[in-house]
Amino acid sequence: MKDLKHLIYFENLLLEANNELVQKAQADGRICVAYTCENTPEPLLNLEGAFSARLRAPRTGSLDISTYYMTSFLCEYSRALLERAIEGGYNFADCIITPDGCSMMNRCIENMELLKTMGQGKDKFFFEYMEIPMKADDNGLNLYVLQCKNHILTPLHEKYGIDISDAAIRKAVAEHNEICELIRAIGDYRKEVNPRITGYEFNVITLATYVAPKYLIKDKLKETLEELKTREPDENSKFRARVMVVGSEVDDTDFIKLIEESGAYVCADRFCYGSLPGRNPIVLNDDEDALTQICRAYMNKGECPRFMNTDKMDHRRIYVDELAKEYKADGIIYEQMKFCDPWAYEKMMGSHILNEKYGYPVLAVDRPYSIGNSGQMQTRVQAFVESIEIKNIQRGNANG
Amino acid sequence: MAKQVGADRLGDFYKEGSKVRKRREWRGLADTMYDYSRWLKIMMTLGKFVMKPRNVKAMFRYRWMANYLAVPMMVDRHTQGLRGEYLRICHEEQDLVIDDVAKLLDSLFRGDRRIGNDKKFSDKVVLVDENEMTAVMMGFPTLKCLSRETPSTYVSVLLNQYAACHYIDVAQEFGLAGDVCPMPEAEAGVSIDDDAPVLGACAIQCNTTCDGSLLGNGVISQRLEHEDGIPVFQLAAPLRHREDDVQEYAAQEIRNAIAFIEKHTGVKWDWDAYFECAKRVNYATECRQEWLEMNRTPYPQVFGSNLALYTETNYMAICGRVAAFEKADRKITKLARQAYAKKKMAAKEYRHRAIVWGVQSHYYMDFLVWLLNCWGIVPLTDMLSMVSTKKLVTEDTPENREQAIYDMAWLTENMIMRNRTHGGYKVLLDELWEFVEMFNADMVILWEHMSCKALDGMHGLFEEKAREKGINLVWVTHDLFDPRIISRQGVRDQINSYMRTVFNEEPIDPSLEVLPDDKSW
Amino acid sequence: MMTFLHILKVIAIVIAALFALTFTVYIFNLDMKLTAAIEPWLLKHYDKIDRDQHL
Repeated sequence: MKDLKHLIYFENLLLEANNELVQKAQADGRICVAYTCENTPEPLLNLEGAFSARLRAPRTGSLDISTYYMTSFLCEYSRALLERAIEGGYNFADCIITPDGCSMMNRCIENMELLKTMGQGKDKFFFEYMEIPMKADDNGLNLYVLQCKNHILTPLHEKYGIDISDAAIRKAVAEHNEICELIRAIGDYRKEVNPRITGYEFNVITLATYVAPKYLIKDKLKETLEELKTREPDENSKFRARVMVVGSEVDDTDFIKLIEESGAYVCADRFCYGSLPGRNPIVLNDDEDALTQICRAYMNKGECPRFMNTDKMDHRRIYVDELAKEYKADGIIYEQMKFCDPWAYEKMMGSHILNEKYGYPVLAVDRPYSIGNSGQMQTRVQAFVESIEIKNIQRGNANG
Repeated sequence: MAKQVGADRLGDFYKEGSKVRKRREWRGLADTMYDYSRWLKIMMTLGKFVMKPRNVKAMFRYRWMANYLAVPMMVDRHTQGLRGEYLRICHEEQDLVIDDVAKLLDSLFRGDRRIGNDKKFSDKVVLVDENEMTAVMMGFPTLKCLSRETPSTYVSVLLNQYAACHYIDVAQEFGLAGDVCPMPEAEAGVSIDDDAPVLGACAIQCNTTCDGSLLGNGVISQRLEHEDGIPVFQLAAPLRHREDDVQEYAAQEIRNAIAFIEKHTGVKWDWDAYFECAKRVNYATECRQEWLEMNRTPYPQVFGSNLALYTETNYMAICGRVAAFEKADRKITKLARQAYAKKKMAAKEYRHRAIVWGVQSHYYMDFLVWLLNCWGIVPLTDMLSMVSTKKLVTEDTPENREQAIYDMAWLTENMIMRNRTHGGYKVLLDELWEFVEMFNADMVILWEHMSCKALDGMHGLFEEKAREKGINLVWVTHDLFDPRIISRQGVRDQINSYMRTVFNEEPIDPSLEVLPDDKSW
Repeated sequence: MMTFLHILKVIAIVIAALFALTFTVYIFNLDMKLTAAIEPWLLKHYDKIDRDQHL
């Protein structure tokens, strides 16, 4: 396939947390709201005058200092973020808003605060911690709304004078939806039998929408979508199976690249930083205030294992099945970042249930934050691809 | 072999390769006879328990029941070297806990579909987690609030250090990562291994101490709801429990939980019973505060595992619902006052005053007694004992009924362990130093439960603060339920090397420094 | 009177014998030594039970 025109541009945005678009938006006079967890409603961080940057630690090297502060038992994502913060890598941010999504992220941000790693020279800088619901119900919704008011909207308004009116929120949702719809449209090409976009390319583009100001990336997304309309896929696909990746935080495009280089096309991305359900548009009506509707949308769409009510737990596996059907996945790769408690359990449950109840071939792996070119992982994915092929052959034989 | 405290070489009671100790201590005539009489009482409790055929049947059905062979030894481990009032306080607590657990087991097997299968009884049972405040059951005196995980994993590991290993292995065979906390991991393992009694009208789970615990509940509820047909309510207590803007949510969760229990059991909430329990909770709080007050002086009386294990049971699992605990509180306080007036000491020498922080090793709960006997370190209080001291409303008025909902929510949010591991760094990090000052401690024993992410995440800042304040901080790493990772001797060695190299001290009882208890229960 | 004293004597002997027996068990930790011997047998029994192991 011909290279995507803007792929290198998108890849470059992922090389630094403080990428060129972040710098440009700040030069435009907007404030940068840093966040880490998918349960933070993104449109509220993108009100007029502000933009969100979801924190990553690209090109992570040594984690020595953060390992001293948090030991080697915490996941590498939380340690990599702290390490980068200690190095001064997030000094560009104007505030950070974080829910107690998991213990590790909570401790990571608290260490950032106590070690005074951020906000140097920024008088208005603030850390805000949110309580977010663990169940999807009316009580949870009330909590979500109140927490968003107290820990996102009020501080943004009081410290930076951001307009937090209903109209402003609706405008932010419209912009958010525009990005979501573009990503959805691009992602839909993955459903093709011989797709015109690779899972890696899609992952790069999606990731860029989390780490760059949306208003500055929109044009490139539109151009990419146009380009894809006429893009010709290779006649002979190098992929031998279609897999869906499900699991914990992945902001390492090398992981998707590794899977694809091992022969499996990544047709769907149901992970934290992925597009499913992260890039679902938020449909608003005029009968209810926008904030409540956003919170409801986040609460209902949330597939994070921290949601603990039975319906939500069951839905996590139903949703994977639905996506696997929609995106025609031959198999599912459940991944978990090493030391991630929530996904350690969900990986165990999901990998058994999707295999035993729904009949999918499932590979369950754990991985470091930055996978590089792991031979061990390649071997596992290759073996998984072969097992899918063998099953397909056997199924073909059985069907005559 | 003497009446005097510290006269024995306690390490000599251990035998290489043996599960049990060579013999029991001679503590002087009066104390030995007292200890013997309490041993007889425990034997009678156990005898009464095995008289029921269903309990014998359960013994042969559930693997974890084998651990209950070691009940008397658990008491012996906690009473090591104790004399006089200390011995009596310890028995008062331990024997009551044993009695309570025996009743719990008996009830579980009565309702268990596989064993007693008493359907009528089972319909009055509400299952709760092991790590869950039972505040929400304070107004249901006719219902049985039972935890299956308490006897299968929690108490089992107190009895036998290796009790959870089988279940941990089962969970890992099913693909659970080996780095999660072994406590919920073992609880999930019990469920996977089909080794939990099946009973109850409904279950109340809670987002207890940690992410692992929350997700482990998901494994358990999968079987409970989808196979056993037992409806489950997940009670979500806010994590940032010190914040005002989460209290309404917490209160509504309590209202919802009560409504759920009423719906599935057909039993109505009883305010009289609630306020009665609330009075007992307040009394327990008063007693605990008095004990802690004594511990601030040079003559602490209720401390170490006497304080830790009892508080955990009384505060969380009992929560004012059992009158016998009020009686025990009274007796313990009387004994403590008596000993305090006489300026009594539990060991022949007190060298250091320590705050024990973090999550203690479950397979080595008697470590606190060892600290005292081996090195003269007085464990004045521990993190799990520093729980809420808020007084509950006790008078039945319309306003108080509303306040009572908030009180229950507060208790649930401030459950043991989670009141420190969640809620921001202040409750875990900053308040430790306040307690160090308050108790006039010169050292901190900091349990580093290696799979506890909430604690590990503050490692460096603990060290920096200790250095800044000039407090001796000793890390004691362990893996909570799994002695295969760090053995009991491995735990002791961390103290031994600190005491020898940093303090340059010799042990008070050198026979305890290295113990051949690797194979011991 | 003699019979009464005799009964008392028998009771005293029984109590003394019971005390001697139970105290011997207590002080030499024989109860725990016995249960420690039983445990391996019980564990083998548990291994033989068919279980419906699943999530």
